[in-house]
Amino acid sequence: MKELFPAKQIMGFVFSLLLTVVALAVYFLGLSFGAGMAILLITAFVQALLQLVVFMHAGETKDKWSIYGSVYFMIFIALVTIFGTMLIFLWDM
Amino acid sequence: MKLDHSQPLEYSTKQNDLNIFGFWIFLGAEIMLFATLFTTYFVLENRTGNGPTGADIFEITPVLIETFVLLTSSFVIGLGIHAMRIGNKKAMIAFFSITVLLGLVFLGFEIDEFVTYIHDGASLQTSAFTAILLTTLGTHGAHVTFGLFWGTAIILQVKKRGLTPETTNKSFIFSLYWHFLDVVWIFIFSFIYLKGMM
Repeated sequence: MKELFPAKQIMGFVFSLLLTVVALAVYFLGLSFGAGMAILLITAFVQALLQLVVFMHAGETKDKWSIYGSVYFMIFIALVTIFGTMLIFLWDM
Repeated sequence: MKLDHSQPLEYSTKQNDLNIFGFWIFLGAEIMLFATLFTTYFVLENRTGNGPTGADIFEITPVLIETFVLLTSSFVIGLGIHAMRIGNKKAMIAFFSITVLLGLVFLGFEIDEFVTYIHDGASLQTSAFTAILLTTLGTHGAHVTFGLFWGTAIILQVKKRGLTPETTNKSFIFSLYWHFLDVVWIFIFSFIYLKGMM
C-alpha cells in the first residue's frame, strides 16, 4: 500500500493546498489591492510551476528542453498578450 | 517495434515519445487560448452596465469546494500515473476512476454556480463582464466535460488491454491534460474569483 503513495507527490499536494490557503488571505484579511495582487501572482505562478514539475513530470526525459522550451515560450507569449493589451486598454499608455 | 527499457513504458517507443511531445505543443496552444480569454476578461471586467459586478455574484464557498476538488483530482491522477509506472493496473484504474468522479463533482458544482448566476440576472447577454465571465468559465468547464469522457474511455481501454506501451502512453497524455486543466483553474480561482472579491 505504501508504495502507491510516494513522498514526492504527497509533499506536492500538501504544498499546493498550502498555496491555496495563502492565496485565500486576500479574501479574508482585506489587504490593499497592490498587496493582494502580489500575493495572487506569486501563489498562482508557484502553483503552476509545482504542477508542471511534480505532477506533469516535465523534466524527466531526454526531450526535457524541448518541452520546457515550448511551454515557457508559450507562457511568455501569453504574458505579452495579456499585459500588452492591459497596457493599451486599461492603463492608457 | 523497438522498446527502450530504460524509460517508463509510456515513453518506450519513438512514437510514444513523439505523441507526448506533440501533446505538450498542443498544451502550448491551449495556454494561448486561455490567455486570450483572460486578456478579454481583464479588459471587460469593469464593463458591467446595468448588470451585477463580480463582487455581487461570486460566492466563496462553492468556489473553494471546486478548487479543493480539482486540486485533489490532480493529485489523485498523479498517484494513478505512479501506480501505472510500478505496473499496478488495479490501483491505477482505481485512482483514475476517483479522478473522473472528482471531475464529475467539480462539474456539478460549476453547473449549479451557472444556474445561480442566471438566477441572479447574470446571463451571457447581460453585460460585457458577464459575457466574458461565462465564456471563460464555460470554456474551462467544457474542457473538464470532455476530459470526463476521455478519462472514462482510457479506463475502459486499460481494463480491456492491460498496461501496454499504447495504453500507458494514452493514460500519461490524459494525465497531462488533467493537470493542465487544474493549472488553468488556479488562474481562474486567483484572477477571476479572488481578485473579484478582494
